[in-house]
Amino acid sequence: MKIENLGERLTVSEISELTAVNSGQFRERVGAALPSASGVVEIDLSQTQFVDSSGLGALFALYRSTGNGKNVTLRLLNPAPEIQQLFELTQMHQLFEIVQR
Amino acid sequence: MGAISLQPDRPATFRLAFAPDFAAARSAAAAVRGFLAEQGVLDNDLFACELCVAEACNNAIEYAQGEYRESSPFVDAICTPAAIELRVTDHTAGFELPARSEVPKPPSERGRGVFIIRSMMDDVNYLRGTNENVLVMRKTRVPHLAAAGSAASTRPNIDDVKKELADCRRTVSGMARELCFRSETLSAIFRCCAELGRSGDRDGFEDRLFGDLLHLTAADWYVLRFTNADGQLVVAATSEPDLKGPPVPLLKAGEPPAGIEAAVAANRTSARFEARHTAAGTAEPLRAAGPEAHGLVYPLIFADQLVGTVAVGRRKGGWFGELQDEVVRTFAEFLAIQTVNFRHRAEEVRNRVFARELEIARDIQRSLLPLTLPQLSGFGLAGGWQAAREVGGDFYDAISLSDHSLLLVVADVMGKGVPAALFATIIRGLLRGLSTRGEGPAQLLSRLNRLLYAELSSVSMFITAQIAFVDLRRRRVTAASAGHCPLLYIPSSGDEVVALPARGIPLGVLPDTVYRHQTAEFGHPGTLLLHTDGLTDVRNPAGEMYGQQRLIDWLSANCFGRTPASELRDRLSAEMNRFRGSAPMGDDQAFLMLTEEGLPENRSAPSWWNPARFARRPLPIPVNA
Repeated sequence: MKIENLGERLTVSEISELTAVNSGQFRERVGAALPSASGVVEIDLSQTQFVDSSGLGALFALYRSTGNGKNVTLRLLNPAPEIQQLFELTQMHQLFEIVQR
Repeated sequence: MGAISLQPDRPATFRLAFAPDFAAARSAAAAVRGFLAEQGVLDNDLFACELCVAEACNNAIEYAQGEYRESSPFVDAICTPAAIELRVTDHTAGFELPARSEVPKPPSERGRGVFIIRSMMDDVNYLRGTNENVLVMRKTRVPHLAAAGSAASTRPNIDDVKKELADCRRTVSGMARELCFRSETLSAIFRCCAELGRSGDRDGFEDRLFGDLLHLTAADWYVLRFTNADGQLVVAATSEPDLKGPPVPLLKAGEPPAGIEAAVAANRTSARFEARHTAAGTAEPLRAAGPEAHGLVYPLIFADQLVGTVAVGRRKGGWFGELQDEVVRTFAEFLAIQTVNFRHRAEEVRNRVFARELEIARDIQRSLLPLTLPQLSGFGLAGGWQAAREVGGDFYDAISLSDHSLLLVVADVMGKGVPAALFATIIRGLLRGLSTRGEGPAQLLSRLNRLLYAELSSVSMFITAQIAFVDLRRRRVTAASAGHCPLLYIPSSGDEVVALPARGIPLGVLPDTVYRHQTAEFGHPGTLLLHTDGLTDVRNPAGEMYGQQRLIDWLSANCFGRTPASELRDRLSAEMNRFRGSAPMGDDQAFLMLTEEGLPENRSAPSWWNPARFARRPLPIPVNA
């Protein structure tokens, strides 16, 4: 997992999976790098092949810690179709901006 | 859906025990996927099976109790051509599997596992034992495919159907997102529209509209420019001061455009903007948005009329998506319509107010001039009036005091329009009221000044006036002036027209002005001319002023001919027009002409009077007859 902080934009990429195995680590590392005020957080899921409910829980925790997305724009980039469907099934897509680039 | 009976003849089975930790559980789920893939299970089902096994395995580890914490849970997978059965055996206290499961509300970090399993599997059972429980999950694969045989070719291929379904889901999901986006755009526009209707505040309206636009398109800057009358694009609103550049000229033939906004305005088509690809050294106001800025510039066009441009962009993050492009265009079009409507409405209101004011002022002014002048024995009285522009503050009045005496007034209210006309009305009314008190012209002026000073000085206006009390029987005139030009008459002591010098400062200048009057006896023929400076100040096309001497000369040339006052008035008006020629009328003109009509038979014109003396000027042609 790679975290890049570009001023007001935080980019998290190179996430091969987001599961019970690494969701705790994801939460800690991204949480520590979150912008204090306004900004954009982009989670690049281009390389992510698998997400389970713990991974969804970690994303939800991120949503919570950014004031329910009010302070910070949360964007999920390029999820694979089945992961996109999982977001929709669990209604996570209502909390995040999901962008295909 | 009921339980699915597996095909007992060709089941492929798989069992794996795994260490009680999340990493091992994850590997087990991946291994199940590998096994199912070998059985030809489709990608979508593979993901669902892997996920459900992962969820079940995680539960098995998370809720393991006591001595069983170290016991290995295990997973079984049984695959037939028709169905997949997955079993995860745990050593937990077990739980009540709810009959239905929903996404946690309100949303929370936990509670999605059972919901995912319930949603992705066709049948789920939880078999509870003593310190060992089994979660059984079943999913239909391709029902009856093996037995279909030759009929398979006539049926739609299930893989194709599934792919199509997946495509449809994606399309519907995309459409839902787009719909959501458009609905947000529309509600932003409606909200702004409603606010505009309530407040009429266009500046605030633009701020709010563009605030919404930035939010919707994840943009962080905008510049709104409007065209002005000088052929420039002027910044009307922007997200930040750095982008408030100077006006840029609209494109002229043969000249390079002063930036992309000018080019968009000239071409009337939108353009993309990228700061790092703008040529260094050229004028490009949008470069202030930052070196990495990307954006869109749209022309604001309404009914073929270029109203301005709008530039919207991001400092980082590259170009907008297609949908965001469209939102910018929608906002630009909407703003163009609103801007034109707003300008049109404001202009219409201004014109309507102006026209109404003019109408009121004209009505007042019409009512100012007396409909009839007093009838006098042996004398005639006529008034002339001509406004320079729409409405002025000049007026005259004649008030009969007895059968042989009257009060003549000519006044000039400084200024134009309704205020001047209103003051003229007031002074006329006051004079009519005061004239019955038997006071002389100087006292009347002093009293008028005291009454009007506060109002006049509060609006920085003043009035010049000439009041003359005329006793026809005694052939005497008593006049007082408040900064007004002197009246002209023929004194009893001479035969030439002279000015009666009366001095005083205009009404409304000092609070306690004392006016003094001059009295003179007028000779034969009895002739008085009270006038405003519009007569003496009139200029010809060469810029030459008519002046008092010319007026005296004209009166001298015209007053000895038994001419009725009304005709003299017409001649004087014609003389004014003749002198002015094609030059514009600079000031209002008002005058009162009193003449003795019909000289006694035993009197004749003075010996010096010779009309030929004035014949070098053509005789005026009456224009107001």
